[in-house]
Formats: sequence, structure tokens, C-alpha cells
Amino acid sequence: MNVMPERNRWSKLAVLMCLLVGLAACGGETRVTRIDAGVVTDLSGRWNDTDSRIVAESMVKEALEYPWLNTFSQSKRRQPVVVVGTVLNNSHEHINVHTFVTDLERELTNSQRVTFVAGKNERDEVRSERKEQAMYAREDTQKAPGKEIGADYIMKGTIATILDEADGTKAMFYQVDLQMVDLESNAKVWFGQKKIKKVIEKKRTIF
Amino acid sequence: MSAQVLAFLCSASLGGCSLSQNHYLLVDKSLLTSDYQQADAIMRQAEKDYGAKSRVLYGMDRGMTLQLAGEYEQSNQVLDEAEEEVDRLYTRTVRTESAAFMTNDNTLPYEGEPYEQVMINVLKALNYASLNRWQDALVEARRIDHRLNVLADRTKDKAAYRDDGFARYLSGILYESTGDINNAFIAYRKAYETFDSSRGWSRTGVPAQLQADLLRTADALHLSQELSDYQQRFPETAWSSLEANQQLAQVIVISYNGRAPRKEDQFLDLPISVDALQLVLLNRGLFQGNRQQHRAADTALYGLNGRVVRVALPMMVPQKTQVRTDTIRLLPVEGAPLTVRTELVQNVTALANKALADRLPGITVKAVARAALKFSMAEAATRGAQQAAGRDAAPLVGLAVGLLTKGFAVASEESDKRSWRTLPDEIHLARAWVSPGKYHIEGAVADVGFRFMRSAASEKTLTLRAGETAILIQRVMQ
Repeated sequence: MNVMPERNRWSKLAVLMCLLVGLAACGGETRVTRIDAGVVTDLSGRWNDTDSRIVAESMVKEALEYPWLNTFSQSKRRQPVVVVGTVLNNSHEHINVHTFVTDLERELTNSQRVTFVAGKNERDEVRSERKEQAMYAREDTQKAPGKEIGADYIMKGTIATILDEADGTKAMFYQVDLQMVDLESNAKVWFGQKKIKKVIEKKRTIF
Repeated sequence: MSAQVLAFLCSASLGGCSLSQNHYLLVDKSLLTSDYQQADAIMRQAEKDYGAKSRVLYGMDRGMTLQLAGEYEQSNQVLDEAEEEVDRLYTRTVRTESAAFMTNDNTLPYEGEPYEQVMINVLKALNYASLNRWQDALVEARRIDHRLNVLADRTKDKAAYRDDGFARYLSGILYESTGDINNAFIAYRKAYETFDSSRGWSRTGVPAQLQADLLRTADALHLSQELSDYQQRFPETAWSSLEANQQLAQVIVISYNGRAPRKEDQFLDLPISVDALQLVLLNRGLFQGNRQQHRAADTALYGLNGRVVRVALPMMVPQKTQVRTDTIRLLPVEGAPLTVRTELVQNVTALANKALADRLPGITVKAVARAALKFSMAEAATRGAQQAAGRDAAPLVGLAVGLLTKGFAVASEESDKRSWRTLPDEIHLARAWVSPGKYHIEGAVADVGFRFMRSAASEKTLTLRAGETAILIQRVMQ
């Protein structure tokens, strides 16, 4: 008498298992969750958006606090004009330096205390556009050449890393150095530095 | 019990099938006709055959065909994925290791030999340099340095592969090409030390060009002690100063010659009775040819006999190149032509042999232990089935279960034959400093008898400015 219910129970369990397996198989491998852009997402231990943001914020704060800005504004009675030079990637990673520099440029420009002019690579495109305007645009809307603003300072720097690793544990040290160089005198008027250290541990065996 | 054992072995064996190597024949055929796009298309189509366990291998194989096809960005993308996978595979899972122990090592994810992992960064560096992205190429040089430092720390045996002369040399070239003479000198010096210390097994001497590079950079850095030391060691080497090269352009030729070695199974059939010994000897007498083709017959025979334990070990089959040196002729629009000869900088076959030789004791111990475990499980399953069947049916059931379980133990025994097969047998390199201008490049290779053959694949035109560096990559299949 007890045999049939027992068998039924097993067959129900088997069907349930099959359904679960089926559902698991049907479920997609990709899951997307929207999160706030400020949330720290350290996944691999490599340079990421959080590092870029932290460094940019820290650099901007430093750049605005130091006296070079006020000294220039008071003596010239205008905002200093800055052009972005090369930020060399001397690290062990393929870091997109451009996004980091853009973060920096945006923050400084929005502070209303510094004017940025187009850098070397961007200038070619702007000049080419001006040349085309001269040929194709209405005369009263054409922008004349020779009216570019010359920069007072060039901002350049490096992102360097020191990497140490043993037995699956990595210690990654990032050092970002930025400097503002007076284009007339070559004097370095501001030196910004930010260091980040991360330890990335990997297990050798898991179950 | 017997059914459970059989079920486990069957399920474990599902993941234990090795990668079919047929596509390599088609890729080689396309490379022979210099049809690199076709070679890459074949590799792309074979992606599914690699499966989840060989993602690193797919990235490496495809990275090479994409580089040859001139798709440097894509090549870097797949090589990046392979490198990330190598990092991820540092962590091993007990489940996967156990499954491999029950079947064969093909169940394990392929993480590449240490020299193959270094070659991932070498290829990426060459891709970035070909794209004129020198700062990114330098990132790869730093990664090479880090990878080799970690490897040297991990490898206690001084005679093992623990540094890479070619990877160090290429790093030095990249540093020098971007004006970083100090780091270039350090990389050249490490390359020299590695070439010198490993020349016995790596079958690669110190390249003459590297000697000149050491002299030039030591001189540029005013390292008088080192300069005089190197001058004493290389009295015959001709070199020009860094200042003399500054108004010139540089041409670097990388020639991938021949095909990397492949691995084959080497079966050791261990008889554990006199009958079995006779069977093994008879079987070897009957099937002296390709053992791979007679695996079904072996399975049936040894399964029926039930007293043969099979162990499979990988064996390296070299595919040596016939090319001794490549000759590149630079024909300027005006002026005299310049001839540059490449020299050996990396013997991939020697590296593969060394990697296998270093790991073979471990592989053998594991394979013998696995074979013993499989045999005892098959024996237990056969006896269990015989007892369950009762006295009358026991002989027949024992025979059937023995055939299945012991046959499976023989059939599932297979060594891990995966390796980066799209690599060449040898890598040759040449450097030349030339006056800025437009050049027509002609390539030729010399076979063992020094009979020159024109290589249509390597012909192209270059326009070079002062201080500029051009990288020419060619594939020679002979």
C-alpha cells in the first residue's frame, strides 16, 4: 500500500528537479543591474572608473587650493588659460588616459577659475573646420584665423605603477603626477600627486 | 554500485574529449599560400570546437592568425581575453581537478605553458607597435617584465624556463624606439644574460644584433665600465652610436618561420598478467602503424582481457623549418639598395620541448595513478555486478561489465595534446637603420642549402621619416 505514494513522491521530485534544471538552463547568462555611477565597483583590481574619479577629484581640489591660481588671477586680472599636454601612461595597464584627463578638464572648467583651450590633437580638427568655413560658410558667420587664445600654462603628467606579486597576491601601487608648467618661463607652478595602493588576492584552490 | 561507477565515469568522460586538431591542417594550408584572411576565417569557424576548456588556446591561436591578417586591433582583443582567462585560471577548482583525475587532463582548462603566456604579451606588443601605438606597446613590455619576474620567483630550478631572451630583447627594442635608453639597456642586458645562460637547451645563441645594441646603449648612457666589458666580449661586433642613428629611420623585421611542434599520444600498455603480456605483444605486432587509429580495437581487446592498464603520455613531434635565414632587401627610390639578414631569436620548438620535459615527471605520476584508479574501479564494478547477478549469470555479466568498464578505462586514457599550434617553429629578427625616404621591401628566405627563394608575402612599400620605426612581420611556412 505504501509503495505507490512513495513512487509518486519520487516521480514528483524528479519532475520538479527537471523543471528547475530547465528553468536554470533557460535563464540568460547576462544580468544587468543599474547602479549609481558613484558606487565603487572593484572587480578585477585594475584601474577603473572609481580610480579615475578619485584621482581627478583630488587633483582638482589640490589645483584650486594652491596659490598659483590666485597669484596669476590677481596679477593678470583674468583667468589663466591652460592647455592639456601629454599625460604619459607609464603603467602596467592599458589605461584610457583620455577619460581621466577629460574628468580633470571638466572639473577645472566648471570651477570657473581656469579656461582650457583645445589641445594639440583637437586643434587640427578645429583649424580644419575654420578653413572649411572660409570656403563654404556665409561671410558674416565665418571665424577668422589668428584669433586663437594662447595658453599660459601646459598641464602634463604621468600615471605610473609599481607591481609586486607572489603566490597569487598582487600589490599594485599607482602614482599619478600632474604638473602645471608656465609656457613662458618653463617654471613649474603646481605639482599634484595622488597615490593609490591596492592588494588583490586570488585563491589557488576552491571547491 | 557498478551502475553508479559507470554513470560517473561516463559523465566525467563527456568533458574529457580532446580538441579536434583537423582545422590546423586547413590553417597551415592557407598560410602556405599566404592567404591569411582565409586562415583566420578557418580559425573563427573552429571556435566552438575549442569549447569552454580551451578558451585561452583559442585566443592564442586566433590572435596569431589575426595578426598575420593585419587585424591588429582584433588580434589584441582576443589576446586580451586569453590573458584575462590565464589570470582567472590561477584559481583551480577541486571538482575540475577530480574529474580530470578520473578521465584525462583534457578535462582541465588549458592555461598555456609559461612561454606561451609570455608570447601572448609579445604578440600584443608587436600589434601595438604595428599600429604605431608605442606607449601601449610599452605597457606590454612592462607586463612581460612582470610576468617573467613572477615566473623566476616561482621557478626554483635554475635550469628551467624562468626568463625569455627574445621577450626581453623585444622589450629593449620597444624602449629604445621610444627614446627610453635606460630601460632599453636594462632589457638588453637581461636578454643577453638569458640567451647566454639558456643557450644549451634553448638552441639560441646571443644574436649579433643584440651585441651591437648593448654596445650602443652602454655608450649612450656613458656606462664606461659596461662598455669596456662588452667591447672585450664582442671584439668583432660592428656598431654605430646613438647620435649617428638619430637622423635615421629604423626597420624591424620579424619573421615567423615554420610551424610549432605538435603533440601526439604515446601509449604505454602495462600488462598485469602473462596472458595480458602476450596480448600486448601480439597487439603491437599487429598494429605497428598509427596507434591513434587502432584505439577502438585496443579498447575491445584490452577490455575483454581485463588485465591491461593503459597510460597515455604526450610526446612532442617537431615540425622543423627549412629556413636558416631571411634576407630583406630595402630598395630606396634613390640610392643604393640595402640588404638585411635576419637571425634566430626564439626557437619555439626548443621551448615547447623544455616545457614538456619539465612537466613530464608530474604528468607521468598522475597518469599512472589515474590508470591504477580506473583499473581498480573497473575491477570493483565487475565484481559487484557478478555478485548481484547471482551464480548462474555471473560469468556472462562479469564479461559484459568488465568489457564496458575496463574498455572505458582504456578508451578514456588520452594525454593533453593542446599547445599553441599557430606559433612558428622559429622567430627570426633583423634591425636596420636607414635614411628617411620611400622604400620598396623585398623579402627572400634561404633554405638549408642556402638556395634563395623570393617570398611574395613579404613585399611591400614603406615611407619612413627620421626617428620613425616600422615593423615588418612575415610568415614563412617552409
